[in-house]
Amino acid sequence: MATIVNTTEEEPMLAVVRFTAELAWADAGADVAEPEVTRLCVEAQQHILAARWLDMASLMLASADLLLQSTRLPDKDKDLECILAIICNLVTKARSQDEALQIAELICAKLTHQPQDKPALRLKVLFSLYNLLGSPYAKAFVYKKALDLAAAGKAADCIIPTFKNIDSFISDWGIGKVEQRDLFLAAARILKDQKGMNKEYFNFLNKYLATFDGSADDADAIGDAKEEAVAAIIEFVKSSDLYQCDLLNMPAVAQLEKDEKYQLVYELLKIFLTQRLDSYLEFQSANSALLKGYGLVHEDCITKMRLMSLLDLSSRCAGEIPYHAIIDALKINDDEVEYWIVKAISCKILDCKVDQLNQVIIVSRHTERIFGMPQWQSLRSKLGVWRGNIASAINTIQANKVTDDGSQGIQGLMIR
Amino acid sequence: MAAAEGPVLLFPSTSSTSARVEAVVVFNICDSYVRRPDQAERVIGTLLGSVLPDGTVHVRNSYVVPHNESPDQVALDIEYHHNMYASHHKVNPKEVIVGWFSTGFGVSGGSTLIHDFYSREVQSPIHLTVDTGFTRGDASIKAYISSNLSLGDRHLAAQFQEIPLDLRMLEAGKVGFDILKSTIVEKLPNDLEGMESSMEKLYVLIDEIYKYVDDVVEGRVAPDNKIGRFISDAVASMPKLSPAAFDKLFNDRIQDNLALVYLSSITRTQISIAEKLNTAAQIL
Repeated sequence: MATIVNTTEEEPMLAVVRFTAELAWADAGADVAEPEVTRLCVEAQQHILAARWLDMASLMLASADLLLQSTRLPDKDKDLECILAIICNLVTKARSQDEALQIAELICAKLTHQPQDKPALRLKVLFSLYNLLGSPYAKAFVYKKALDLAAAGKAADCIIPTFKNIDSFISDWGIGKVEQRDLFLAAARILKDQKGMNKEYFNFLNKYLATFDGSADDADAIGDAKEEAVAAIIEFVKSSDLYQCDLLNMPAVAQLEKDEKYQLVYELLKIFLTQRLDSYLEFQSANSALLKGYGLVHEDCITKMRLMSLLDLSSRCAGEIPYHAIIDALKINDDEVEYWIVKAISCKILDCKVDQLNQVIIVSRHTERIFGMPQWQSLRSKLGVWRGNIASAINTIQANKVTDDGSQGIQGLMIR
Repeated sequence: MAAAEGPVLLFPSTSSTSARVEAVVVFNICDSYVRRPDQAERVIGTLLGSVLPDGTVHVRNSYVVPHNESPDQVALDIEYHHNMYASHHKVNPKEVIVGWFSTGFGVSGGSTLIHDFYSREVQSPIHLTVDTGFTRGDASIKAYISSNLSLGDRHLAAQFQEIPLDLRMLEAGKVGFDILKSTIVEKLPNDLEGMESSMEKLYVLIDEIYKYVDDVVEGRVAPDNKIGRFISDAVASMPKLSPAAFDKLFNDRIQDNLALVYLSSITRTQISIAEKLNTAAQIL
């Protein structure tokens, strides 16, 4: 993952101890400083010889605060990064994973102490530490600390690029459901305040809510997820490029149905995922203040609901939708049908051909708003047909198989 | 304590964000390792390619550079390296030096010296390692970038940071690879045989997916809607054909194929007869 290779005669750890000791005692005068520097170097040497890496980490980190605040360093960031990288390298020397974890905990405690001061540098060092660690648990611990540091130090830009690999990180760490939940929530909170990250924010809310499976273990914690469930619903309704989700199937979202405060928000989600424009218009006329309160724009909701209604038509009609059905469902004029079809195609939620002569739309593919058991059953039957087609093709090939020999070239031409 | 395998955590400012390596490069490296001099423990060489706009290093070619290594020093044949690069550059000017490779597991002490040399050749080179010794049971292939750790004006260490590596083979390359990977190939498959093996592979894949979907429907497996949507999109991208229509379409294609096979074999027979007649005429 990461490797640090010595390029000097002197052991880098001793060089760091000497450098930091000289810096610490610089004001005391040569006669006082020299014995102190020597004492620290001897102590460090003893730790190295006895392979007491945890003590060595404590000794080296003791001066880290001084370094972080020092004004004497000409190239402070570069020197600091070097010192901290060499301290981090101690985890590779540890005799056990427990010792490596203890060293990592010490380093993390020091780096997360004042998150506002040089957060990017601190994060860079934490990333190096992560890559040097061997234990999956220790890696998960360091990543969580990096998340907390990024949030506290307002350095989201440094951590957000790592979110795209979060699933592979989690499978590598092998962490439990509760730890995953905390991680997703922390990531979602970081993304919430970022401009242009709405889709990613929704994805992490989705991941967070999916960790509640309705089991007895979740009974206490599921109540805390109400705010996030509402946020996910609002993000879905607001978004102009989300037309499918599994929120309805989630216990964390389903609990809102019986909640006095959020019952209407759940109803709104149900309308967007299972009903058509007329249902939305009824809801809007009765609850316009609620929609405004959540920052939902009525015109945008109508646009999205029209596209959702078109998807509903596609799933119910057997491949062909007549113009009049679209006009009724979308509440539009005759001349607007093709505009909405083109809009649906450009949103990549529909693939179809327009038969203007017969006034029908021939649908070849549509996005499923919700993916439940009926969709799985339909998928099974389609796959069954294709499996049969391929089997039949193999039989045809085998029946027609000929050798390259010219005398047998005609064999099989008359088969079937 | 060795670091465990797993995805790396990259800081955004890192110059080369990832590397993409063509299969031919790995083949070259393995081939050069097999042909290495008796006394050599590892082989090293130059990587050629280009840096894509997103910072990805695309490695498309490589060549070995002779070297001698002892615990405290490394000797590279620099003249050979420059001559080889000049020759490669004439043939393909777009391929520039992007880094260097080495066989063996991970980064060794001598690597910093070699990396220093390549750092003078190109800005922020990548280092590719191919574990031809199968240290961990497989040919682990990793890419690294290096940064110097300096204290004041003293250079203390070099930090080799692993970067994500993409080793996917292109579809066109896969076809050739499937034939090359078997130890003995008596003859190349003809169109019909190639089609049959492709169809059989496709059948196995579809059957596997069908079984998964069937298990979900029958309640034997918990549904994963992300997978469901993915399969659904894949199935929807195929044309809607009834079994009878598909059968007819495919059979027509086979008949066309067989007609071509027949015509080509007639042509071959014709040429063969003509050659024999020509030989007989010359004898007479």
